[in-house]
Amino acid sequence: MHAPKVSFLPPDKIAVMRGKVLELLEQRGVQMEHPEVTRRLAKAGAAVDGDTSNVRFPAAFMEEVLARAPKRVELFGRDGAGRLEIPRPEGGFLLRTGTGAHGYLDPETGSYRKVTAVDAAAWARLADGLAEVDFCAFPFIDGVPVPSADLHGLMAVLGNTGKHAWIQPYTAESIEYLLNLAAAAAGGEQALRDSPRVSIVATALTPLSVKFIDLEVIRLASRFGVPVHACSLPSAAGTAPITMPATVLMAAAEILALLAAAQVMEPAVPVIATPLVFALDMRTGRGLQSSVEAMQGAAAAVQLMKQGFGLPTHTYGSGTDSPVADGQSMAERALLGLLTGLARADILGGAGQLEVATAISPVQLCIDDELAAMTRRLLRGLEVDEDTLAWDELSAVDPGGHFLATQHTLRHCREGFLPKLFTRLPRDAWETKGEGDLTARAHERCRALLSEPAPEPLPEDTRKEMAAIVAAADRRLAGTG
Amino acid sequence: MALDDIYDSILGFDAERTAELVRAELAAGTEVRAILDEALIAAMDEVGVQFSEGVLFVPEMLMAAMAMKGGLEILRPHLSASEAKPAGVVVIGTVKGDMHDIGKSLVGMMLEGSGFQVIDLGIDVPAERFLAAAEAHQADIVGLSALLTTTMPAMQATVTRLRERNAGPRIIVGGAPVNQDFAERIGADGYGEDAPGAVALARRLVADR
Repeated sequence: MHAPKVSFLPPDKIAVMRGKVLELLEQRGVQMEHPEVTRRLAKAGAAVDGDTSNVRFPAAFMEEVLARAPKRVELFGRDGAGRLEIPRPEGGFLLRTGTGAHGYLDPETGSYRKVTAVDAAAWARLADGLAEVDFCAFPFIDGVPVPSADLHGLMAVLGNTGKHAWIQPYTAESIEYLLNLAAAAAGGEQALRDSPRVSIVATALTPLSVKFIDLEVIRLASRFGVPVHACSLPSAAGTAPITMPATVLMAAAEILALLAAAQVMEPAVPVIATPLVFALDMRTGRGLQSSVEAMQGAAAAVQLMKQGFGLPTHTYGSGTDSPVADGQSMAERALLGLLTGLARADILGGAGQLEVATAISPVQLCIDDELAAMTRRLLRGLEVDEDTLAWDELSAVDPGGHFLATQHTLRHCREGFLPKLFTRLPRDAWETKGEGDLTARAHERCRALLSEPAPEPLPEDTRKEMAAIVAAADRRLAGTG
Repeated sequence: MALDDIYDSILGFDAERTAELVRAELAAGTEVRAILDEALIAAMDEVGVQFSEGVLFVPEMLMAAMAMKGGLEILRPHLSASEAKPAGVVVIGTVKGDMHDIGKSLVGMMLEGSGFQVIDLGIDVPAERFLAAAEAHQADIVGLSALLTTTMPAMQATVTRLRERNAGPRIIVGGAPVNQDFAERIGADGYGEDAPGAVALARRLVADR
């Protein structure tokens, strides 16, 4: 089967950019604020400036890092089930929900509010029930102690879905608690290491630096054997040059610096290149994730990381700059998902998110599930062979005849994509049925999923152990609980 | 008229020309106050208006502010003590836990371009540093910036800490996840939607003091 692709970078430009990335890392370097990581990097052959913490990576050193980097990643759900492998067997993608949003569009009232712990649990349950969603991130929960809010978020996800969980830590102090919580949910550190129930994100601070917290993520992820999403979040014209090729180049350099850090800590830990590309609106300075430029950047960044460096990739494949789940939202996420899907990203993130990743909507998540199913099908492409060319049928048809009643049609008639939410009714039938528009139908689906019985709870001992970890974090990090 | 040329050079984002023209005006004996009010500040007011209307883009506004600031530096030694007195003193910074610099710097530059003295504390600034700087510089206003939703609570904590001083400065907040409602709930004195909005707000708050 021919896999359709988009290409923003021709092979010769990928080669040029690859060379420039290595040159930037060798000559300019990346500031990395973590004594243990920089000590190990220095020992491994990187040039560390003790005063500025700037780390320069000789090209030969980086080539070795790239050659050693795991090219395959396996993520797991609860109890070692739900194995997700990258690259995907059919060349498709994994779908991840939005992370870190603080705003919530209530599916019942449509009103906007801060995310509560109850909302976060509902979010995870919804992700659990939606077939196309592969793994779930947690939003920023209001009403819990702020210094341990990430613990409460992860608790909501681990307790309400058996799917793989993504961790975005909020402070350096909480990382170990988060990984201990994941280990408890997985049945111990060894079980977590054998079948990682969680993966964790480490993000560079563009331009060209990595703060202690993100290198601490790498240090602890290495210790726990948890895959790392090595993330760069450049904003073109702000923290990155305005021209997208330069933004992509810089993102790649930051991601490789994170990869090198992970390797010197633990070579076996898989690292997923995660460029999340933003572009500033030049009229306002606001960062956008779904502008035309940001979409081009995402596709080009995926292409460079995959084809230039052979790394597994992860970027936004959903989301909108609109604050509401309106027509703009649907159009932007459909364009972005198709584009990054066709760029052959291994993970598409941002399902259900609105307003540049600051808000989430359960109704939107249900629609994104359907969009992902369509995108997956589109990406499969077309098989061209004797059977699909239907030569016998073409040769035999009478002028003015039809193909509805042929054996060939009968054989294939159940292969087409059938949407669950999209309507295909003409007006009269649609009005008679009275099922409303896409949003209304998605809302019904959301309701139905949330009224289903909750996933089987974790064993009581496990829940107790997890609750104790969160309580300890509340106490020690927040001084409450 | 030469003051118009200065005004035009700022709106043309031409810092070199602004500096050159300001020097020439000084040499020609033009009243310092006139250069300041009718050329430099008038130009930045227009820049603010044009930016808010979507005519000027962010980099253009920034370059204009830099041109204005360059002109002001040339003028400064010639200003009398009262003329040199800033429109107000503003301490700004991005709150603890947040490493985002751009929005805050933009506001700082626009404030400077509008005649305020700005003390920029940078990023990841703990509440204590805001407090100490506000006292040391006798700030009229403290401006808090946050880009991350996760650092909005730090903004609240900073406001609370600053409010513990009775005669504390006025507090303004801004940043992508911040809005008027949030500003009111955490007890800030105002919310600036964009950089010119922050300038207008600062002017209003200083006038009210």
